[in-house]
Amino acid sequence: MVEIKNLTKYYGTHLAVKDISFTVGDHEVLGFLGPNGAGKSTTMNMITGCLPSTDGTVLVDGFDIAKNPMEVKKRIGYLPEIPPVYPDMRVRDYLTFAAGLKRVPRADRKKQVDNAMERLHITDMERRVIGHLSKGYRQRVGFAMALLGSPKFLILDEPTVGLDPTQVMEVRKLIMELSLDHTIIFSTHILAEVAAVCQRVVIINQGTIRAEDTIENLEASVTVQHMLRMKVEGEMTKVTNIINEVPGVQGIDEVAFDSVGVNIFTVKVKDDDVRKPLMSALISQDCMVLEITAVKSSLEDAFVQITQGAPSGKSARSVSADTPAPAEEKEAD
Amino acid sequence: MFSLYKKEVHSYFASPFAYVLSALFLLVFSLSFIRSISTMDSNVLKFSFSEIFYNNFFFFIFMIPLLTMRTFAEERQAKTETIWLSAPITIPQVVLAKYFAVVTVYGLMMLLSLVFPLIAWIKGSVVFSSLICGYAGFFFWGLVCIAVGVMTSAMTDNTILAAIFGETAMLLIIFLDTFTETKLIQSMPAVAKVFTWFSTQARFAKFSQGLFSLSDLVFFLTLSTVALVWTIIIIEKRRWSRG
Repeated sequence: MVEIKNLTKYYGTHLAVKDISFTVGDHEVLGFLGPNGAGKSTTMNMITGCLPSTDGTVLVDGFDIAKNPMEVKKRIGYLPEIPPVYPDMRVRDYLTFAAGLKRVPRADRKKQVDNAMERLHITDMERRVIGHLSKGYRQRVGFAMALLGSPKFLILDEPTVGLDPTQVMEVRKLIMELSLDHTIIFSTHILAEVAAVCQRVVIINQGTIRAEDTIENLEASVTVQHMLRMKVEGEMTKVTNIINEVPGVQGIDEVAFDSVGVNIFTVKVKDDDVRKPLMSALISQDCMVLEITAVKSSLEDAFVQITQGAPSGKSARSVSADTPAPAEEKEAD
Repeated sequence: MFSLYKKEVHSYFASPFAYVLSALFLLVFSLSFIRSISTMDSNVLKFSFSEIFYNNFFFFIFMIPLLTMRTFAEERQAKTETIWLSAPITIPQVVLAKYFAVVTVYGLMMLLSLVFPLIAWIKGSVVFSSLICGYAGFFFWGLVCIAVGVMTSAMTDNTILAAIFGETAMLLIIFLDTFTETKLIQSMPAVAKVFTWFSTQARFAKFSQGLFSLSDLVFFLTLSTVALVWTIIIIEKRRWSRG
């Protein structure tokens, strides 16, 4: 179990992380979410002992990072944002060195290195010089390094940044596999990633926790907003009037031009049942509905809302969410 | 700790760096060797290396920082230091591993330079007492230079700057002697006395003349230890103030 208690970090006079507390249970996958510059890496560096905290403490399996750093470090595998790989070393040599550094007994080193390479599919790269590898492979080498010494806890700082979509999928799959026998804390600024692999999420911004909950609760606590996007043939003002008169319509959000005489209307509605009267009202007045789709608010929007709002303690705030949409990297620093 | 030491030594020989620097070192050594022979008085029956050692003493100021500049500065720049910061290894262990790695490379260079006394011994005769003491002085002075170089490397994330800092620090240490000899300092005997305690040139000169003194040895080792402890403090301090 990892207990983070009132963790605070000042860089000089700049407050980077303020009074953060949360707990990660055994075999749990916790997503640590926040925009760039939110204090994610600082927190992770403090959990792994790379950085001492100004105040508060981290307990790993009951060992205090400040009082017993060796015991804590033995239990943690850390993959920082920039994988700490030496460009002049070969993959196998590097991993063997890292195994030694992590005090893996000499007899076990080869086996562990082989296992880690196999898990990350880099066995055929073992003789390559790391400096000649692509970013994706370097990331994997760093990941393999984190697995050495069979740590119980894995701390992964933005493990998918800079990878291509296939590699991102692979890393997610790997995290799911590893979650069977590891406790994982991983940070990201991509919400869809969290939704894909985590049981629980901590959202952080400007050094404070903005929300901490399970994905289900986060989704359940939000007010779902129903939106319809309709492609309608007909004169714009006429169509607007018809739509506005249908009971259950809460307003038109946006009207976009599609082609001559055809516009796309984004309509806010009370619930999905409004769809039927809306269609019949339009058709009865000779306006052809060419297309109708339900617009799903993405978790991304929710994340933006939470991180841009004021600090709110530990419950999920009003977030509009549905199913996770494919994410793009948003930098809301 | 041994893994880190091995990796560090390996990284010197994985690039042309150590080879080029060893070649340069041997070149300078051979030049002073040739000069000593060519200016040798015909009355001298045995060849002593004192002058060669003394010349190379100054050359170290430029060579050692090149050897040590990468130790910490490069790791900081490439952000690879997280690997040992998050591993179950203490900072003193890291500093020692890196220090001994440089000492090993330096030791190998010393071994290579033995070829010159060997030639002198085959073709003539050598004052062995002076040679052994000269090498001992050379080696211990090198230990001080390396410790100072490692320390300056920990101060910055720029390797060139680390080398320049190292050179400046060593120049200051060496020219403390010259400074002590000025009229101003000599007019204050108490101050002059304190400065003489820290004199390195005179101590080295003793070694190169074939005098082995325990107090000088302790002095060089203490100076190295101070620099290394300071390195640990610098790294710890940086860990607290910056990520």
